[in-house]
Parts: sequence; C-alpha cells; structure tokens
Amino acid sequence: MSHQTDTNTNTMVTARFEGDLQRYLRGLGGLLVFLLVWWAGAMTTQPSYLVPGPVDSVHAFFDLFATSTAIVVPIFGSELVLPTGPAHLAETLFHYVPGLLLGASCGISLGLAMGWNGALDDWLRPLVRVLRPIPPLAWVVFSIVWFGIHHTGAAFIVFVGAFWINFYGAYGGVEGVSSELTDAASTLGVERDLSMLKLVALPSAAPQVLTGFRTSIGRCWMIVVGAELFGAPGVGYEIINASNNLAMATSVAYMFLISLAFLCMDVGFRLVERSVLSWR
Amino acid sequence: MAMSEIPSTDQEFSEKISIQNVSKAYESTQALDTVSFSVSEGEFCCVVGPSGCGKTTLLRAIAGLDDPDSGSVLVGGDPVTDPGLDRGMVFQEYALFPWRTVRGNIRFGLNRPACECADCVARVRELIDLVGLEGFEDAYPKELSGGMKQRVGIARALAVDPEILLMDEPFGSVDARTRDRLHAELLDIWAQTGQTVVFVTHDIDEAVTLADRVVVMDADPGTVQSTIPIDVERPRERTAHDFVDSVAGIRAELGSPVDTRH
Repeated sequence: MSHQTDTNTNTMVTARFEGDLQRYLRGLGGLLVFLLVWWAGAMTTQPSYLVPGPVDSVHAFFDLFATSTAIVVPIFGSELVLPTGPAHLAETLFHYVPGLLLGASCGISLGLAMGWNGALDDWLRPLVRVLRPIPPLAWVVFSIVWFGIHHTGAAFIVFVGAFWINFYGAYGGVEGVSSELTDAASTLGVERDLSMLKLVALPSAAPQVLTGFRTSIGRCWMIVVGAELFGAPGVGYEIINASNNLAMATSVAYMFLISLAFLCMDVGFRLVERSVLSWR
Repeated sequence: MAMSEIPSTDQEFSEKISIQNVSKAYESTQALDTVSFSVSEGEFCCVVGPSGCGKTTLLRAIAGLDDPDSGSVLVGGDPVTDPGLDRGMVFQEYALFPWRTVRGNIRFGLNRPACECADCVARVRELIDLVGLEGFEDAYPKELSGGMKQRVGIARALAVDPEILLMDEPFGSVDARTRDRLHAELLDIWAQTGQTVVFVTHDIDEAVTLADRVVVMDADPGTVQSTIPIDVERPRERTAHDFVDSVAGIRAELGSPVDTRH
C-alpha cells in the first residue's frame, strides 16, 4: 500500500517537474523568437539608429558599467563616483524612494482613516472623486513652479502616483472588513474604535494594503521616468539624453536597467508579502 | 403562546437573562414581535424555530450587538446596552481571526483588559486541552476543519470566563458525526463551568440532545410559540422513548410546515 503511494507521489513529482520544464522551455522559446525578430528588424531597417540591434544594445549595456560618473547626493551635497549606469540609477532612486515611501504612507493613512470613519468619508469622498482621475504627470507643471525640476519636483510627482494607488488599497481593505469579525472582537472586549482598527481592521486589510503597495512600486517607475523626461536627473533623463545624440542603443541599455531594477524590487517585495501573509 | 412567560418586575435571583417585550423589524420583516422569556442561571436553553423567526436577532440583542426597537433585555438585572465580557458568543461561521493562530485566537480576549501574562499562557493551554486541540496551537484557521474551527471559537469565547455563552447555530456547518462528538464535549464543558447557555438551532434533535428547556419560535412575525422543558436524563439517547416524545412535542408546536413534510 505504502509502496503504491510512494510510486504515485513520485509520478506526481515527475509530472510537476515536467510541467515546469515545459513552461521554462516555452518561455525561453518566446524570448528567442523575440530576439530573432528584433535582430532581423534591426538588420533590415535603415538608417540603423531607428532600431538598434540586440547585440549593440547589450554592448551599450555593458558600457554603462565601463565608465564612471560623479553624482551629487541630495541633502548631504557630497559627491559620489559610481559606474555610469548605477550612478544614474542612484539619481533616480534619490527621488523615487522618498516619493514612493512618503506617498505610500500618506495614502495608506488617509485610506485607513476614510475607510474606517464614515464622517470623514462623507467629507472627503467628493474631493477624492475630483482629484483621483488627474494623472500624476499632469502635476509636472506645479512641481516645476513649486520645487523646480530637480529631485524634489520629481519626488513630488512620484508621491502623487504612489499616494492614490496606496490610498485605494487601504480604503478598499478597511471597507471590506467583515462585520462578523468586528462583532466577534466586540464580544471579546474590544471597545475603542482605535483598538478595533489596530486589532481587527488593519490585519484584515493587510493583504489589500500590501497589494496596493506592490502595484505602486511598478506604477511609480513609469511615473518617475515620465518626470525625468522633463529634465530631472536619472535614468529617464539619460534615455532622452542618449537619443538626442542618436545613441539609441544606449537608450535601450537604460531601458534594460530600469526593467532590472523593477524586477529586483518586485521579487524582493513579493518575498516580504509572502512571509507577512503566510496565514492566507 | 399559552406558555410564554410574563416577566415580573422584581427579579428572582436565579433569573440570569430576562427578555421583556422585545421587538425588532428589518425593512419589511418583523424579526421579533414582543418576545418575552427568561433563562435561569446555569440553564442550558435552546431556541428553535424556522429560518426568519428572529432567533439570531434575539441572540444578538442579548450579546448587545443589535439594539431592539422596543422592549428590553436584562442580564443579571441590568439592561444590556453594549457587548461585554460577561457574554461570550460563538458564531455560526466561526468568525475566527484568520491572521491569528489557534493560540492567538484563543488569547484574543485575554489581551485586554491587560492581564498577568504567565496566567494567560497557562489559561490558553488549559483551554486548548479542554477543547482537544493539542498539537494545533500554531496552526492558522485555514489549516483546520470546520469542527476544529468551532472548537477554537468555543475556546476563544470561554477564555474570558463569561457568565453566559451565546451560541448561534454553532454546529450547522460540521458533519453529523463531528456534531455528535461536539455535543458531548459541549455538555462536558457546560457541566464543568456551570455557565448559562443560550443555544440557537433549527435542528430539533440537537435542541433535545442539549437543552434543559427549549424555546420554540414562530416566524413572520417572530414570536415565542411555547417553552418546553426537556426532562430526559443525560446522557441522552436519540432512540429513547422520552427523547422521541420530546422531539415529537416540539415538532407539533412548530406546526403544520414540519408536520406535512412526510
């Protein structure tokens, strides 16, 4: 009997492994086909800068690490010398990270408050309806006149983007708290609103809050590049800068760099999410 | 109607819960219509009735989760205004906190008001023993079967040592065999703790298995049809004559919809 079960388990493991292998092979196939089409397109397009080929782009990518660039660390004002690619990535992070973290904290706080407090919700809902649809990049004009187009201005635009995504994650999360759980908590002695928020609403809303934050990680990369196209220093600015010199392969190299940075953050955050939400 | 009790103004000291002319309406339905009855201290009282007879509403009114439109609910002589630690509740769909382990759920009520921690740990261990969940202390609710979840629900309600245990069809979602075992365990726990229990169910067999007294309700509007004492010696056998007679008596009280089923 147990031998039979072992064989079954083995067969299942093998089947799953074969399924995984098949998926990886298909994924690899898709990548190869894409590279081939890209390469063929680059070969047949003239003038050549219209479509920089994969080989040129990879070269340009490695070139980002071959030279060094000095950048200024905001606030501290000290100079930092890094390989060119990471240097510009760091410049982007100088406004991306503060914008994201501040926007997420403010958005989550307001979302929790509005989702929990009916009166506040009544007061602010129309305002939210009006402000929410404005694309974060539309705030560029104000970020320029208020902060100038540098780190602070770009951080402000990222802030706006992060704010709304996190706001809705927290708002929806708290609104979705089941009344059965709050009932159970009140029969167990939870009386104050703030205790209920801390002990029931917040943990119950955590999955949606974290999903909101993860979405904002990606969305803010789009926004930050948009903001830099207007002149704030960083990888987005370098994309434009390279294309102004018709060094399109370098633009593609920076695009790779952004993709890589996003992937690292996304994978990292997914790991955090999985460990925090192991109860699900 | 004939047997519904008229509450007296000066309380007998053994009267733990007194429901006086309680009415509650939801939009078009009259969930409770001037319902009155009382439950003695240490009594196991079952409330049976068809769905929509307001038995859950009644339980929530005792718990202090819903206010009646009129009438009053007295617990130990004092009117109920809010939920309180003197009344523990066990929910039909368990209502466990999914982000807390078995231990964390049972401990929930002990965290406030602040208590001596060493005692808390011992208390939680004692409750885990009581409901037979040894070895599952660190499991999350998603890892438990329905019967085990309700064991946690019961232990969580018992943790703060309430005087009254309110149970809303607690075993409605568990299989028949598990339910039989849970009945026996619940009666054991009740014998040990001596709490006053109000147990809502639509299952007549379950009511006769458990109760000292059964309150039979009628739906739309929700009223108390009668209260029937169950004088069957424990442990009760479903095949015993007096058990079968009690079931038949309640079924007759519930009226034609149940009788014409056959």
